[in-house]
Amino acid sequence: MSVRVRLPALFADRIGGVGVVDTTAPTVEGALREVGRRYPALATLVLASDGRVNPVIVVFLNDRQLPADRLGAPVRAGDEIDIVPAIEGG
Amino acid sequence: MRAPHATGPIRDPTSVRYTRCTVDLTEGAVAFGDLACRNLEDVLGGFGRSFQLLAEHTVTDAYASDSPLVVNTGVLTGSSVMTGLRAYFSAYSPLKVSNAGLPAAMWSAGSGKFGSKLRWTGVDEIVIAGRSAQPVVLVLRATSAGPSAELVSAVPLLGLECFRKILALQPDYPDAHFAVIGPAGEHFDACYFGAVALSTENLLKTGDDKCRWAGRGGMGSVMGSKNLVGIVAQAPDQVVAPSPRIRALNKDIATGPGSRKFREASRGGLGGTWANYEPLDRFAFVPQQNFRPQGDGRARKMFRSAVEPEFIIKAESCFKCGINCHKNLYERTADGLRGAFRAKFDYEPLNLLSTNLGIDDPHAAWPLVARVDQLGMDSISIGTTIAYVLDYNTRHPDSPILNGARFGDANKVADLIELAGTGRCPEVGRGVKRLSEQLGEPAYAMHCKGLEFPAYIPDTNPGYPWAIAGGHMSMATYMLLALEQDRSVDYWVKAITERGLYFVRDDLLGLCKFAMLNAEAAPLALAEEVGLHVTREELLAAVRRAFIRALWLERKQGYERADYTLPAEVFDRPNPMLEIEPFITREFFGSLSERVWAVFDREIADLERTATTP
Repeated sequence: MSVRVRLPALFADRIGGVGVVDTTAPTVEGALREVGRRYPALATLVLASDGRVNPVIVVFLNDRQLPADRLGAPVRAGDEIDIVPAIEGG
Repeated sequence: MRAPHATGPIRDPTSVRYTRCTVDLTEGAVAFGDLACRNLEDVLGGFGRSFQLLAEHTVTDAYASDSPLVVNTGVLTGSSVMTGLRAYFSAYSPLKVSNAGLPAAMWSAGSGKFGSKLRWTGVDEIVIAGRSAQPVVLVLRATSAGPSAELVSAVPLLGLECFRKILALQPDYPDAHFAVIGPAGEHFDACYFGAVALSTENLLKTGDDKCRWAGRGGMGSVMGSKNLVGIVAQAPDQVVAPSPRIRALNKDIATGPGSRKFREASRGGLGGTWANYEPLDRFAFVPQQNFRPQGDGRARKMFRSAVEPEFIIKAESCFKCGINCHKNLYERTADGLRGAFRAKFDYEPLNLLSTNLGIDDPHAAWPLVARVDQLGMDSISIGTTIAYVLDYNTRHPDSPILNGARFGDANKVADLIELAGTGRCPEVGRGVKRLSEQLGEPAYAMHCKGLEFPAYIPDTNPGYPWAIAGGHMSMATYMLLALEQDRSVDYWVKAITERGLYFVRDDLLGLCKFAMLNAEAAPLALAEEVGLHVTREELLAAVRRAFIRALWLERKQGYERADYTLPAEVFDRPNPMLEIEPFITREFFGSLSERVWAVFDREIADLERTATTP
């Protein structure tokens, strides 16, 4: 069983509508990097130009917002990670 | 919207039919028609259908009697899909105008419950032409014999604020919802950005000013020009239990990552569009002093975390929506309880009526936000036009215009709002393009094609010129610089031509953009609600055709390459306060423009070849 990363439409639309990516990394940050590796079209959305996790995305782990300095948090099979762009209008 | 009785899935859009109500206000005549869809865009609805109708008309004056106003829904409006609430108002706009002086086609979308009620009357589309001799309200009803319509006098409503018009109509029309204009729309000659207010259940229950808005492009002013003060849609609710697949979809909308931005923190969200302040402030991208961030930290005074201790903020919704995106501001009483409702704080109206005007006191800001709503104006257009006035007066301290208002002067800003919304200040009411051209200083007028910018500085978004119906609602490039920080021409060509334009998908479907529905989900919803089976690719192709048709329609109205540009100061006076070095030079934009048009020109030509009316 793996850790599921759920993507917003802005991300999913760049990879043919894929809204969910199952990963095997042991930490939240590792899971995000795995998403970036498997889907290069998402690389600049997930990772900033300096290689760090994009500071303009907000990460939720199992429905709770994860502070940027806690992205090294371990994850277990069945956990769910949501990526949310911090800027959205309408 | 009806599919034929079929035993299996249907594939042909032309087998789907819809009901049009045609209103001739000059003659006081109403007729109903049953029409076959011509293509998938017709099935989807919204501007996908209305722009095909507008393309059939030659219009040189947005207020001409024979210039049609189309009020319609999307295929999912009034369905069991969460956020399927949208109504669309489409017409040639008094505000959006080519340099050649011709009005351009425009749509404006709003939620609330009016769209659903309209759908439940049995009407998919209203086409309104002519001009009534007396102010009228159009009343549509669901009857056992199908929809009916009549025109009734609106004289008692004249002069009332939007929400008071709705409350005045409510007792006569139980089980109805309403679309009305405010004083701004009544004074259409002097105010080109009159909005259409749409009722919500919350408004009808509380009596508070809790409308939703089809705000952009002056569709309320077009209604006013026809002496049409309101539309009533009276029908029993047709809420049906969603199918298991739609139930799962709704759960994803309400709890998935797409809507988190707009949900409350207590519900796993980020707190609404208001929460754009913080990430944008990190880059000094929050508009201040007419879209010129100062790097002085003052934008932080309007952070939700700074405002919340002084007020009570309650998240509320339109109708059967689990997102609760409305962040309504109430007085905090002396004993800490919720007092009177004051205003709804979204990022756009809040920024453009406070921080961007040099106002950073929420107690001074909420009356401005509230008054703009009461008068029925588009908060983006009035806010951005007033910002120009304040900027002009700062640049010309010895010869200011109008009341001499400067940045930070909330009282004088309030006066300008009052005057513009009651038809007594056409200089402001006709928008920033006209005002700046009259004054001979268009370089810092913050608009594209006559539509004022939303609260995202143009220095960060070279995609604005290709937005069809408002900078942030019809081209999803306004947030990309902060997100990806890519400043290459290659990146922006793709951002505009391969991704950004698809943001208009929900302006056909009838869904709120805050649902942020995944592209896979829309075909599913179409199959479940209409029985029409299309692929994701077919759906996206229809959205793209609708967008390209809208560009073609701009060209028909005299738009040329020179119309598709940014304010000159973006090129000539880069702002050193921005945390990301300004990159939109004339050379960059020239190269971008060439490559974007190379894509779109080809598709416009293809569309022209394959259709008599593209």
